[in-house]
Amino acid sequence: MFGLAINWVDILTLVLYAASSFWLSKYFEKYKIEGWWAWIPGARTYWLARCADRESDGKAALVLDILYAPFYLFGSTFNVSEDVKAVIALIALFLGIGRMIYKARITIDLCGDLKVNKAWGWLWVFAEVIPCYVWSHNEKYWPKTAVQRYNGDDPLLSKEVKQGIADNMDDTNQGLSVRIEDRTVRNFLDKRYLLREIFMNIEPGHMVLLLGGSGAGKTTFINAVTGYEKANAQILLGGMNVYDEYDKMKYSIGFVPQLDLIRSNDTVYRTLMDAALLRLPADTRISELLSRVESVLEQFGLASVKSSLVEKLSGGQRKRLSIAMEYISDPFLFVLDEPDSGLDGVIARDLMRRLRSITDQGKIVIVITHTPDRVADLFDDVIVLTKDSRRTGRLAYYGSIDEAKEFFGTDTMEGILRKINQKDEGGEGLSDEFVKKYAERQVVSE
Amino acid sequence: MSTENKTAAEVNTNEQNKKPAKSFSLMQGRHRGRLAQIPIYLGKDFRMFIYQNDWKVLPMAALIAGMIGFVVGENMFVTMEGTFQCSLALTCICIWNGFFNSIQSVCRERPIIKREHRSGMHISSYITAHLIYQMFLCVMQAVLTVGVFKMVGLKFPEKGFITSWFLLDIWITLFLTTYAADITSLFISCIVHTTTTAMTVMPFMLIFQLVFSGGAFTLSGPAAVLTNVTISKYGLVALCAQSNYNSLKSVTLWNTIFKLRERSEEIKEALYLIEKEGQLENILAESGKSMQVAAYEMTKTNIYSCWGHLLFFTVLFAVLSIIVLEFIDNDHR
Repeated sequence: MFGLAINWVDILTLVLYAASSFWLSKYFEKYKIEGWWAWIPGARTYWLARCADRESDGKAALVLDILYAPFYLFGSTFNVSEDVKAVIALIALFLGIGRMIYKARITIDLCGDLKVNKAWGWLWVFAEVIPCYVWSHNEKYWPKTAVQRYNGDDPLLSKEVKQGIADNMDDTNQGLSVRIEDRTVRNFLDKRYLLREIFMNIEPGHMVLLLGGSGAGKTTFINAVTGYEKANAQILLGGMNVYDEYDKMKYSIGFVPQLDLIRSNDTVYRTLMDAALLRLPADTRISELLSRVESVLEQFGLASVKSSLVEKLSGGQRKRLSIAMEYISDPFLFVLDEPDSGLDGVIARDLMRRLRSITDQGKIVIVITHTPDRVADLFDDVIVLTKDSRRTGRLAYYGSIDEAKEFFGTDTMEGILRKINQKDEGGEGLSDEFVKKYAERQVVSE
Repeated sequence: MSTENKTAAEVNTNEQNKKPAKSFSLMQGRHRGRLAQIPIYLGKDFRMFIYQNDWKVLPMAALIAGMIGFVVGENMFVTMEGTFQCSLALTCICIWNGFFNSIQSVCRERPIIKREHRSGMHISSYITAHLIYQMFLCVMQAVLTVGVFKMVGLKFPEKGFITSWFLLDIWITLFLTTYAADITSLFISCIVHTTTTAMTVMPFMLIFQLVFSGGAFTLSGPAAVLTNVTISKYGLVALCAQSNYNSLKSVTLWNTIFKLRERSEEIKEALYLIEKEGQLENILAESGKSMQVAAYEMTKTNIYSCWGHLLFFTVLFAVLSIIVLEFIDNDHR
């Protein structure tokens, strides 16, 4: 039968764990993390990863720790048969190597952030009590910034301002009405705000540029607006609630992803025809279906290559096909994530002109692009999203292109990005100021 | 080219070409349901068969069958040892073919599936289309394997045990084994996110099937229990049972004694007498009786049970594939 088998090695391990936990809790406090996390196996590695800004590694390490613990405890505490012991040892070894590698990645990166010798990283893996003691006592290992925690309070906008913005929203808009309170994600041990307080009305027939630096939440915003990933929000399209009626409305919303996600070994015609079969109502007459496919092929300049395999198309043609697949259902709201990436200036402009002509049919087209200045004149409005000091996506501006330039005090769209990007990203770090300035303007002007 | 230029030139800027704003109207009518979407994806699969060179799995199956048939086919249905070797090799061929058919089929287009799921594609339709397409591949591979074995001179019994034709009996087992492996592999392809991971996992699955087939190695204890979850066990048992393994002669004992003839004059003399008096066949048959395996009993119940297990694996992994792939929206960007 099973029997307890605790020996002096186990006792020493426990003492070392307690000592390292004590000092690690002191170190966590430097990062504004509650010290008691240091005492919890698995969770301590996760929070160490958050200190190193390697959250995904932290998650993986936490999972491996959770899986490893029962095998370790069972194998080392109970007397079991040799066969069972061998299996347990094999699994524990497999998991142990994994957690060791992840911990090394986390701690070596932490050393890089603090600009200390990376050998400390390996010491963290094999004798963590030493770095726990040294790092918690030495000012040299003081972090540059605390780990961001999300307790729900908003340092940028007061409740009155938020209420004022919400009250000033025009409810009669027949285009796209966006009222995002917030969009959060819950990680293992923390909650994170991805977007906060984004309110706007976009009129039909407007082509809108979505501008924002890396990590500003552009794709999250698009997913929330199109109903693909729901936020704490109310999204109205033509007065209908996108979230409540998503199954019906998804065919009126076209989303073109950044990458050309098309089967390369299929013909252009069949690709478009299959898209039509999926997106158009089942009772569409075959003659209408064929005519729609032919007209979209014409409209996007793909008629001459309709029998070609997708893999034989040029970058521009492939991008147009990707757009045509969504356009086939004649969506009212059309969202494109970097449709001009990898295209030269002439082809990119030609593509944007096609989108302009779609907009001029009375639709709403929202486009993310990282080279906005070469096509800015084709747009009516610009949405400027920015990452605030807590790395939450915020609305810094929504309005016409010319007014945007005036608002940010710059002549170009890239100039706007420079103003709002954080300093460590080569910007001026004025994100929070513009978020506040625009919010106050929304309260006053609407 | 002219169309492109014309379109580009004709498109004017917003100020020149703006039309009055159109109000939103919801698209009317029902969209294609699960059943109606199946032909769309089935068509795609068959076009991939032609354009993406998926057809190569068919000649590959014929080639492997040819090699195996040439090497181990001679004693199939003749001796216990030859029948067992050939049955094991056939099972391995089926599992290899099945795994290769679909191991990359889903994971190679995962982002595309995610996009199409967002546009209204039903995962159950997508997987069902794959099930039909993979069934076509497995049917063809099983036909090719039986055909090639016949071509290399393997002498099959004429009368079948379950059906009227022995070839049909064998074909059913080969098909079910290949298809079960194929759908297991489809499930793996639904779990993993990249083709690299899929191709890393596949050898482990093959080794697992071989080691725990219950035929290649003698297993006991928990390892023997594991054989019950392998496709290879049921494929092997069905083939051995259909081949009437337990009624065949065994040559192991005779071959061992034959090797000892140079060491002992008495053994040499005894062997000579056995052959001279025509007792060799009796000895081989008696030797076979001592080598019988209860699991390979040629009964309808036994064969139906093996087929049932193979079908069960197929259905199980097909359902699991649908369930797993339903979570594709959670894929990170």
